[in-house]
Amino acid sequence: MKNLYRPIESVIEDIKKETPNITTYRFRPKEPVTFEAGQFVELTVPGVGEAPFTPSSNPNVKDTLEITIMRVGMVTEALEQMKVGDTVGIRGPYGNGYNMKDFEGKEILIVGGGVGLAPLRSLILALFDDIDKYKKVSIRYGARTPDDIVYRDLLPVWEKKKNTEVLLTIDEPHPEWSGKVGVVTVLLDDLPLLTTVDVDKLPFTAENAVACACGPPIMLKFVNMVLLEKGFDPSNIYLSMERNMSCGLGKCGHCMLGEYFVCMDGPVMTAKQIEKFEDPF
Amino acid sequence: MREVFIGRENLLKLIGRWAKDHRVYVPAKFDIMNHEETPDYEQVGDEVPENMTLEGAALATNPKSFIFYPREVVAKYPSGESDADVEAPETVIVGPRSCDLRGLRKFDKVYWSTEHFTEEYDDPFIVEKRKNLFIVSVDCSFAKETCFCTKVGGQPWPTEGFDLNVSPIDGGYILTVGSEKGEKLMSGNDDLVTDALPEHLEARDKRRRSVTEAIDRQNAEFFDEIESSYDKLDLEGTKEAWAYATQNCVACSACNRCCPTCTCFLLVDQQSDGAYERTRNWDTCLSIGYARTGGGGNARPELPQRLEHRLRCKFEYTRDRYGLVTCTGCGRCIDVCMGRIDMREAMRHVLTTEKAEA
Repeated sequence: MKNLYRPIESVIEDIKKETPNITTYRFRPKEPVTFEAGQFVELTVPGVGEAPFTPSSNPNVKDTLEITIMRVGMVTEALEQMKVGDTVGIRGPYGNGYNMKDFEGKEILIVGGGVGLAPLRSLILALFDDIDKYKKVSIRYGARTPDDIVYRDLLPVWEKKKNTEVLLTIDEPHPEWSGKVGVVTVLLDDLPLLTTVDVDKLPFTAENAVACACGPPIMLKFVNMVLLEKGFDPSNIYLSMERNMSCGLGKCGHCMLGEYFVCMDGPVMTAKQIEKFEDPF
Repeated sequence: MREVFIGRENLLKLIGRWAKDHRVYVPAKFDIMNHEETPDYEQVGDEVPENMTLEGAALATNPKSFIFYPREVVAKYPSGESDADVEAPETVIVGPRSCDLRGLRKFDKVYWSTEHFTEEYDDPFIVEKRKNLFIVSVDCSFAKETCFCTKVGGQPWPTEGFDLNVSPIDGGYILTVGSEKGEKLMSGNDDLVTDALPEHLEARDKRRRSVTEAIDRQNAEFFDEIESSYDKLDLEGTKEAWAYATQNCVACSACNRCCPTCTCFLLVDQQSDGAYERTRNWDTCLSIGYARTGGGGNARPELPQRLEHRLRCKFEYTRDRYGLVTCTGCGRCIDVCMGRIDMREAMRHVLTTEKAEA
């Protein structure tokens, strides 16, 4: 029988520092690991352990994958010591990705906080591959300080794409920052209420929109709250749930959220799926 | 199902014959501290141990340990094979009770292809051992004071999930063959058994009734106050009620470890002879690190949240996910709790407190 727990050898092909504590790695697995935007993989640092990450690269690129990783613990610290040419392990993909078929013809609101833009980047790149299928892609991203902004060189490129807008904010005022200030929900102020009468003048119509959010749990909580207030349908709000998925196979139990296993039913879950929980974040 | 009668001497012979080409474990009485009342598994060597006993209720160890080891190497890398290397000798376990068999159903749901998972998610380490496990279950001949199987949909004798079942009666045992694997255990051994007579079956049924009545009687105080049926419980009690229920808990996780339906594990990587290996270790939802996430988050930082998770997992989450209430009423978590937490009492408290508020 196939061994579900065996990591596939993968070589680090490129390392790019995004911010002082966030780095993007490109891996080339020795056996194919293909994924859909939103699915995650388990990354092994040999001898140290495994941790779940959602790739940040285009899912249509099949032979390599990129992951943008923030240094937070044992595995990520050990990974930071590794060099181009070193070998790690990858297994997966696991879980459900975004239901992109359902996004066609719609306005897509993407809300990211901090390193939370990383999994969304995979979605954004997949959307760009078929941009004519979507009415609008609105990317709204908040970071703590200007230095904490990831994909600094990509954001201006994304902004120029067809049907696409990019809005940024940072948490606290900063001498080098002339843009918006405040937590990421300030970027949602311009969203209309569904009850607003003059729909044509609005920048965004909640009734024909889907929202995809990823970021720290506290951010997700408030973004979800605001989107629901604005009239988004709970089944159109996709939230990246943070749990410590360890096996990825619906077995080890660590990522349980009520009867859900985030590794099987998520990691992307709709606000509808989690509405019965008092505080799922 | 085929039923036959066997005397004690012949049963010992039968077990001895199995031991020639299987690993065989039988329940034996140990004199450890004050646990002499609770038998536990002992491996059969050249002879069946003198202290083997088929009387009593559930054994100290639950049979999950035979397929789900407390610690097991599940992968070697970087150069590991894509197929799993599993050591799964044919093993006969004599002694699981009805509650234990119901516990194994959870393992089948989680680790083996079921309606829920596809074959792709079969766990080789558990499935291979499970396939080679011969289950010789035993009727309970008395109720521990912590037994409550009849209150969670069970009864103190198995009706399914065994290969062979042993029902102790005065002067011998009735063997019930429950599967093809059971037939395999019986084949070539007809010299040891005789037909089960009506009076044998009557004696068995009488024993079964009396144990059932004893369990019902000793649980009336806990369950008769809870109106809702065991498979419709909603344990979303108040924070205060759970805090009260948890006040003697020290998060030792003994309840997790002895539970026949706790299936959770943690993967730990380590260096070994210049390569690396990944071990799977039992993990416990009562420990604080269980729901910890990267960067210091924790889904259940408070102990009452964790006990709540444990009990709601048994009664609600697995019911909603697998259609299976996974508390089997074996009572082990109550037996081992050093804080003397009785989960029946904890549940009653949570349910009745909520009712008072509403």
